[in-house]
Amino acid sequence: MGVPFSIRGLDKKFGGLAAVQNVDLDLQEGVTTALVGPNGAGKTTLFNLATGHIIPDGGEVLLDGKSVLGQPPHHIARLGVARSFQDLRLFGRMSVRDNVRAAIEPTAWLWQPGGGVAARKREAAVDAALDRCGLTQQADARAVDLAYAERKFLSVARILATGARIWLLDEPASGLDPHSRARFVQLVRDAVAEGVTICLIEHNLDIVTELADRIAFLDRGAKLAEGAPQEILRDPKLIGIYFGEQRT
Amino acid sequence: MTAYLINLATLATIFGILAASLNVLIGYAGIFSIAHAVFFGLGAYAGAQLALQFIPDVLLACLAGGAISAALSLCLALPALRVRGEYFVAASLGLQMMAVTVFSEAHSLTGGHGGLVGIPPATLFGADVSAPAPFLGFALAVLAVLLLAVRLLMRGSFGRALMAIRDSESAAEAFGKDVRALKTLAVALGCAMAGVAGALFAFYMAFVNVESFTLEQSILVMAMVIIGGTATLAGPLLGVLLLLLLPAGLSFLPFIPPTQIGAVQQLIYGLAMTLLMIFRPAGIAGGRR
Repeated sequence: MGVPFSIRGLDKKFGGLAAVQNVDLDLQEGVTTALVGPNGAGKTTLFNLATGHIIPDGGEVLLDGKSVLGQPPHHIARLGVARSFQDLRLFGRMSVRDNVRAAIEPTAWLWQPGGGVAARKREAAVDAALDRCGLTQQADARAVDLAYAERKFLSVARILATGARIWLLDEPASGLDPHSRARFVQLVRDAVAEGVTICLIEHNLDIVTELADRIAFLDRGAKLAEGAPQEILRDPKLIGIYFGEQRT
Repeated sequence: MTAYLINLATLATIFGILAASLNVLIGYAGIFSIAHAVFFGLGAYAGAQLALQFIPDVLLACLAGGAISAALSLCLALPALRVRGEYFVAASLGLQMMAVTVFSEAHSLTGGHGGLVGIPPATLFGADVSAPAPFLGFALAVLAVLLLAVRLLMRGSFGRALMAIRDSESAAEAFGKDVRALKTLAVALGCAMAGVAGALFAFYMAFVNVESFTLEQSILVMAMVIIGGTATLAGPLLGVLLLLLLPAGLSFLPFIPPTQIGAVQQLIYGLAMTLLMIFRPAGIAGGRR
């Protein structure tokens, strides 16, 4: 089993605050890893560092064994790493369909390469992603007019359509009703079955248990533990930290 | 009366190009520049100098005005890439102030406060097009071509990428958009169009000076775009018609003394902007926010 995405000794300080300290993380091919930890543990910062949105102070980010450290976010995205945001960051005034289109158009220069054949292929990918995320009916609606759960699914549809092989999902299921949550879990399982490598930040431990093959536990910027879900979630010390009962 | 209407129509066409060009920045790319009159001015000076020094061909002047404005648009693109939101508005204000000083002081290029006078009548491939009707026809043709180009570009991947950046820059980057390149290109496109409008303006007025390229002009064009409706093709044109025809219309009202027209006009603009922002923030032609 390969390790397409790997983080080595990543460090980031904001002023005097160590947001991420010497974190190692391997995302194994076809494996879903959950980042778990209390608020302020550095989970989202780790995503920002891994995808080039924030430049690390030290460490290494490897994609297929090659360093992508210091590369701008759009370069890393084009290499097949897609991410979502906690606050979704949809293209609000654009239609649902255009949100997905904009996400997959490769270089977005004046004219797209590949002509009509490539354009039809992209449209098919947009249709398929909207269909799988249950958004076909809303394709012409503006993103800002969607219901909450629909917005969440649109943020996944954008990623799904890109065909990215590594997905970094930041609290993708927070606030979803039980029915939507079940749909989301199935969507992620289908993607994993297709060979996608997923890392997700999630506070809902039920979803973590349902989806994750591995858990990395972060607190105050440091990775305290990594292992199988049953191992991590049964550790009273980690659970205590997670629920704010004690700190190491 | 016909001459008066042709005059209004020609000004509306030139300002239509100018407003459509600012709409590329504000409406599609989300770059709130209040320095747009600078690029209108650069195009006007470039067109005027070409006519005065070399050849009064209006098409060549439009191309030269567009090229000079696009090249110097890097002055706007650099702050646009570094700062966002209100910080960029402040940076563009600084650029506007600097440009007015340069326009006033660079006598050899701009004629200083006195401006450039005696711009020869416009020709097109050697034929005289300076009479009001042919000039209006040419200006309308330029407007049509530029609107078509904007429509094609904004309906394609370039437009979608710009609007994605407008709505969320970080998400656009996360989906592979080269934000720096796209913003630079949007600024160059918008400023080039403003330069074309400037060149037409120089020929039409046969005289240019710094008074036409001040902060007030930038704000007027911004008002045209916002009142008409951003990110729509018709919005800026509607804004131009309203804001140009309003003073003309007011002058026909017998109960407003001619000396008070300016003040009444400002009151109406202010009230219209405030009401629009409350009840229709996307402008008259714009959709819902």
